[in-house]
Amino acid sequence: MSENMINTVPEGTKKTGEASSDRRKFLRKSVALAAGGAAIAATSAANAGDGLKTWTTPLKNEPTRHMLGRGVVSVPYGLPSKYESGVVRRNVGWLTADTIASISFTPWQDLHGIITPNGLHFERYHAGAVDVDPSKHHLVVHGMVKQPMIFTVDDLKRLPSHTAIHFLECPANGAMEWRGVQMDSLQFTHGMMSCSEWTGVKLTTLMEMVGVDPKATWFYGEGTDGSALQRSVPMEGAVDQHGRPIPAEYTSHYRDAMVCYAQNGEALRPENGYPIRLFIPGFEANISTKYLRRLMFVDKPLVTYQETKHYIEVLPNGMVRQYDLVNEANSVINYPCPDFKLNGKGTYEIRGIAWSGYGKIAHVDVSVDGGKNWKQANLVEPVLNKCVTKFTLPFEWDGEEALIMSRATDETGYVQPTLKQLREVRGFNSIYHKNSIQVWKIEKTGEVKNVQIENV
Amino acid sequence: MSKSKMSNWSLGLAAAAVALTLSANAFAFDAAALKSAPKVQGVGMNITDAAIKPWNISYFYDGTNLPDGKGTVSAGEKIYQEQCAMCHGDFGEGAHGYPKMVGDPVDQFEASAKAGVDAVSNRGLNNNWGNAPTLMDMIHRHMPFYAPGTLTTDEAYSVTCYVMNLASIPGVGDDFVCDKTSLPKIKMPGEPLYVTNSGPDTANQRCMKDCYKGTPFVVEKAASIGNVSVGKVKAKDTQ
Repeated sequence: MSENMINTVPEGTKKTGEASSDRRKFLRKSVALAAGGAAIAATSAANAGDGLKTWTTPLKNEPTRHMLGRGVVSVPYGLPSKYESGVVRRNVGWLTADTIASISFTPWQDLHGIITPNGLHFERYHAGAVDVDPSKHHLVVHGMVKQPMIFTVDDLKRLPSHTAIHFLECPANGAMEWRGVQMDSLQFTHGMMSCSEWTGVKLTTLMEMVGVDPKATWFYGEGTDGSALQRSVPMEGAVDQHGRPIPAEYTSHYRDAMVCYAQNGEALRPENGYPIRLFIPGFEANISTKYLRRLMFVDKPLVTYQETKHYIEVLPNGMVRQYDLVNEANSVINYPCPDFKLNGKGTYEIRGIAWSGYGKIAHVDVSVDGGKNWKQANLVEPVLNKCVTKFTLPFEWDGEEALIMSRATDETGYVQPTLKQLREVRGFNSIYHKNSIQVWKIEKTGEVKNVQIENV
Repeated sequence: MSKSKMSNWSLGLAAAAVALTLSANAFAFDAAALKSAPKVQGVGMNITDAAIKPWNISYFYDGTNLPDGKGTVSAGEKIYQEQCAMCHGDFGEGAHGYPKMVGDPVDQFEASAKAGVDAVSNRGLNNNWGNAPTLMDMIHRHMPFYAPGTLTTDEAYSVTCYVMNLASIPGVGDDFVCDKTSLPKIKMPGEPLYVTNSGPDTANQRCMKDCYKGTPFVVEKAASIGNVSVGKVKAKDTQ
């Protein structure tokens, strides 16, 4: 620990060198620093105020002190402060031919909890976002059923509801990094994932209503947008088009599936499938069809465009892998990260997010020396099934180069792999499901870079 | 599926045992999954198959549900040049970042994958598409991109026929006629390459102390990465 470290005491303690004025200056430099410093003050060996500069200019009132603010409903649907205008979804122009069949990224570097605000949920369109009139929209459930049925959106809202918090992740999250470091930004390395509270009807409720034939082993959803996207979803006993079984790890996820009409307590956004979407927790997001109009129960997969050309993995043995459906355990440190610069040595709090499509996060370990030694991070409640879990760990930065990284373990015992391990089995053409440990390098200047460790 | 067929692709006794266990439950979802589902009455409407038919537009890999009608290579060429070539290229080579119809020959695609060099950007119908009926499904459902779902059934069959001809799919000569009988018989060159995922494929261990010796080989971003526009994202840079 450096003797020049920035030393802080818990908020509310007045007898300190960190006068409130000094503190404000400090806050301007980095919003995230204050809370972190306070959180680990108890571990500090130095005396309060040691080593800090002193603010001596008499304090002035800010302009807001002498004016009236806006009245109620002047902004009928509330918006973030104008000072937060940089917190937005972003896209990468060269990734796709246009913005209609494209993707945008959630700014996890600016989020502080596990919930993604609805306006920041990542977007993935195959034919653009459409505005579907809920009063004219219907869901048909048919195929291998006793009685095909049709539902209005109001019908679905009348049925017994189910609410749960889950992440939703495009399996291409991190795809630009298979061959090497490309994106010096957390938003672009991990932003194809968002986490929301979802509300809707459980699929099993609808299955019971229509009387699904026990011989059904697959179902698929279809959207009412231009892509009319469809994906095959396996149930118990599912075999692929060659008669090969779908692994048991993938054949029970449908039990948690729902037809959602709400996201974080309000109606789905058009970007996320308004008025209703399929949602299968833990599975790659492409399978959770937006603008859902039809569910069909069948006894074989469709092997759609999405399943034969996209969402497949070209393996190093030359084979092409289908039905890799689960987003396995993943994690990333979102503070510090390349989207920020550290403001001098001293106390920081390492914070990050972890998630697994197989269940709850069991542990997250953090290393600041390139993975030689690890320390178990604190998991922040709630720790939920197939949901983003926040983790924290105090960090004293000595001003030297550091390689910081996190490693998640889920409740099945699966440990997030290194990039080397992942490349050994998937090669460089895999595109999807890149869940390897992310390394950030802190430079002496405080800059944070995206790097890869190739040999470990 | 018979047990003997399953053991054909099972590797060793352990895998065969798994296959036998699975075959006992094959072709049936676990109806116990519905046990906790609430019993609901008086919500929704019944619907007839005839009423669903206009929406029942999925064509399975094996040709199930392919519609009546037919198309030809020559009719498809005309439609393709008018409605498709501006994005997919006059010769199926792709344009403006939109997908190629014609990729590397399948053996070259496989060799690139094995060599670890880029295989994915040279994908086309001739190396990375499993079944012709699914191509018809995609074209009829989703194309042309700017006016999805507007081709007639015969037009969609014709475009399917033409792009397969363009990609030199075996059996799809200039006189080939595409319909619900002929499409399922086409052998797509990339079909034998498909395998099904078998679950988690890495096995990292949770080491906590002195996990390796030596120095980590750290790779940073290449100096000339091209047009990566990450600069503007640093909106929160505190400098």
